[in-house]
Amino acid sequence: MMPASKAVEVDGLTIDYETGRGRVRAVDAVSFSLAPSEILGLVGESGSGKSTVAMALLGHVATTARVIGGRVRVAEEDLFGLPAHRLAHYRGRRIGFVPQNPATGLSPNRRVGAQLVEVAMHHGVASSREQALLLAREQFTLVGLPNPDSLLRRYPHELSGGQQQRVCIAIAVACRPELLVLDEPTTGLDVTTQARIVDLLKDLRTKSGISMLYVTHDLGLLSQIADRVGVMYAGKLVEIAPTERLFSTPRHPYSRALIASIPNIDRVTYGRHRLRGLLQRRDLPPGCPFFPRCDYAESSCADREQRLENAGVDHQVACQRWSQIPPAGLENGSSPSEAVAAPASSGELIELQNVSLVYGASGKWRGLFRRSRTPVVSDISLAIAPAEIFALVGESGSGKSTIARAMCGLLAPNSGRMRFREESLQGRLKRRALDIKRQIQYVFQNPDASLNPRESIGGLLSRPLRLYFPMPRAEGRRRIADGLLDVQLDPSYVGRRPDQMSGGERQRVAIARALVAQPALMLCDEVLSALDVSVQASIIDLLARLRRETGVAILFISHDLAVVRHLADRTGVLFAGTLVECGPTGTLFEPPFHPYTEELLLAIPAYRKRMRSIISATRSEDRTTTRRGCVYAGRCRLYLGQVCDEEPPPWRETAAGHGIRCHVPLEKLLAVGLIAARGEICCGAANEPRLETLQCAAT
Amino acid sequence: MTDLAVHDTRSRWRDFCRSSSVSFRVGIVILALHLLAAALGPFLSPYGATEIGAGVPLSGISLAHPMGVDQIGRDVFSRVLNGAHIVILLSVAGTALGLVLGSVVGLLSAYVGGWLDEFIQRLIEAFVSIPYLVLGLLAVYAAGPELAGQPVLMVVVIAIVYAPRIARMARAAALDVVIRDFVTAARLRGDRAWSIIWRDLAPNTASTLLVEFALRTGYAPALIGAFGFLGFGIQPPSPEWGLMISENRNLILATPVTVLGPGLALASLVVAVNLTAEGMARMLGRSVDLAVR
Repeated sequence: MMPASKAVEVDGLTIDYETGRGRVRAVDAVSFSLAPSEILGLVGESGSGKSTVAMALLGHVATTARVIGGRVRVAEEDLFGLPAHRLAHYRGRRIGFVPQNPATGLSPNRRVGAQLVEVAMHHGVASSREQALLLAREQFTLVGLPNPDSLLRRYPHELSGGQQQRVCIAIAVACRPELLVLDEPTTGLDVTTQARIVDLLKDLRTKSGISMLYVTHDLGLLSQIADRVGVMYAGKLVEIAPTERLFSTPRHPYSRALIASIPNIDRVTYGRHRLRGLLQRRDLPPGCPFFPRCDYAESSCADREQRLENAGVDHQVACQRWSQIPPAGLENGSSPSEAVAAPASSGELIELQNVSLVYGASGKWRGLFRRSRTPVVSDISLAIAPAEIFALVGESGSGKSTIARAMCGLLAPNSGRMRFREESLQGRLKRRALDIKRQIQYVFQNPDASLNPRESIGGLLSRPLRLYFPMPRAEGRRRIADGLLDVQLDPSYVGRRPDQMSGGERQRVAIARALVAQPALMLCDEVLSALDVSVQASIIDLLARLRRETGVAILFISHDLAVVRHLADRTGVLFAGTLVECGPTGTLFEPPFHPYTEELLLAIPAYRKRMRSIISATRSEDRTTTRRGCVYAGRCRLYLGQVCDEEPPPWRETAAGHGIRCHVPLEKLLAVGLIAARGEICCGAANEPRLETLQCAAT
Repeated sequence: MTDLAVHDTRSRWRDFCRSSSVSFRVGIVILALHLLAAALGPFLSPYGATEIGAGVPLSGISLAHPMGVDQIGRDVFSRVLNGAHIVILLSVAGTALGLVLGSVVGLLSAYVGGWLDEFIQRLIEAFVSIPYLVLGLLAVYAAGPELAGQPVLMVVVIAIVYAPRIARMARAAALDVVIRDFVTAARLRGDRAWSIIWRDLAPNTASTLLVEFALRTGYAPALIGAFGFLGFGIQPPSPEWGLMISENRNLILATPVTVLGPGLALASLVVAVNLTAEGMARMLGRSVDLAVR
């Protein structure tokens, strides 16, 4: 496995940051190496120093940072020993970099082709413009951009986020570097786009043999792409192992907790050993930095420095107790069907009938300024029963939030009806009674913005209480304390302000603020997406428990199907403002799938491993669509031709309460879906022909 | 937790002191002297403020009369000391009233929006287009002769002059806040407008409004002085500084000393408050930047 020569060698790298309050050690004696064409993943929470390491591999440190010790060798050259002009040559030519946000990585006022040509010319990979253009075209094809000729002449804002990131990758690999450093390259992208970028990177590695350092906070993502994974905590490398091994037998308590926190489609968890507390750089013990949060710590851990020891082939861990900690077997967690089934509905709580929302059409001036009317949500019908968790899934721009905003009265539907508790629900907030407002509470995506920074936690919670339930002060205080306990926060937090809390705690406060109103329906709009992965798991648990204990119905909006499976009783899949599939969560994960649902499922690591061979064979490029037919026709891999473009697809009932909106006959969807779901039998290259025949049979 | 809080406040205070600029420190020292004079002046002054015959009229500077003697034999130094609290009280009270009126109108305008916002903005523009003094004189005229020369009228005049300008500032600051999620959350909850304005908008625009208050307070003594000088402000024999300058203006060429005392006092107060306010604005701005980052 370990080849003789190493593409990258980092040895004892130590970097300090100068801050207003003294020095902080960002990276502490980190050592690792990368073999040619190896992908090493580096994972850690925010503030763990992983990005600083990534930058060091480019020979770059921030102006406030200082390299205290250690070496970084790329292709047998010590980067920190190089004079500036040689280093500049190294960057770009031999080390490529892909930034987190492609929008800032590309210059906004130059055509993307010109940007690639510039890099190629600068590093002397192409001697003339013509040659560089040729190279650019070649690179664009390599990274899977369609019609390279027309794309080369576009400006960054004319490309989608996924395409922009592909351009960044094309530029980074244009000079055939030996090493590619990727700093959270898919964090800002939709799950489906993310999956395609990961495919592309793996493809690039096999084709051109580049080594990659992939930095991310998303361990689940690394399971798909990395050969080895290094886990960083508080500037230290605490564990490094081949990916399979790390996931099957993680040794460091921190790695275990991280893996346990991944929302997993198969619900395999390490039981209760989830991550608690927060990384607090200021008061770390001299010994193991993880000591304050560790479930297995003994007193000597705090004082003795932990060094990486061998814990198996190619597997190193920095924990003195690794051999004593029982190998936490994979406990199969509760299956999703165990989630409390919604009580036999005694009438729906909220009901939407043929609701459509159009932007740019409301207001008094619509006669004067005729703006283009963009339908955001069209003809949506759905219902949520009391105490039910209903999930709405789709990519950004699919209209998920718009539906929630219509329910809570922020946006009035342009057509269609809404009913709440069997009575007509007013579209406008102003016309709704206070008690209706109390029963429908909204939890925002980002707690930083939804909590008034100048108000104490007690003050924040007292506002809905005093508004809805006039009561004496002492009683109010008791209710606030209860509200905090409900979301597992200490009642002593009442005096704190939001900036004195972590992101996860703030989101708990936001949930508590909705809960003290004793709502019947809570609208949770992407409440996890602003939080670290380790915190997300605890919020999911919290929501499930709250539903069980208080009987509140929840509309849970997410772009991630894996999260939804943990939580929701029923799920609706939304694409471009249209509900394409809707039904009990359990059946949603069973074939037949709507082609778009299938695409979403493919974005989940566990499914992806089984189904990859199919999509790579059948993915089609985006076609333009008319609004008459199926909204998904342009991306559909089962595209039938004209009927999909011209006629709106019918709802087909697959099981009780489960519908799919598609022209493709159910039998075919079922056959294709079965292939996908039973992926085990058709994984690997050897099975490829069988797959083809199966598909033919299906058609 | 308490320890932490104490430590936090202390280190914040230290940060605050360290980040203050030289101009801020100079300003605050002069301002402190003025406040001291305002508080203790009447007890420290060697002569009474209206005591005629404290010295030989227009006798110039001497040890007994460090700022000279005016044309009817009153000690200028004593009068300046006695006048300090008048100027400062009137400025602070007038600006405070203007701040309350202005911020209520501005925040409401930003929160409600729509045609009400448009209407209020046009009204404010109409007010702001009238020069300070003209607007003030109109107010004095409207108040009628009974109120003329009363300190209360001066306070109201300052408030009327300042309120539209402060309202505009408050609205601008609040427009940034009303679009934030916590305001939307309050609207969804069904909170009343005044509750949102008081609990969400006001605290989050407070730093801007505080700086605005300090700056306006700095210009208020000059405004009071101008009214006093024109004879529409506080009436004689009050030792109000502007009035003193006015009373002695026909002698400016012959014995400038009598005007110099109150003139210097007025100028140093205006400069001091402005330096302080500016330093405060800079520091608040910086701390806001830090918090954002």
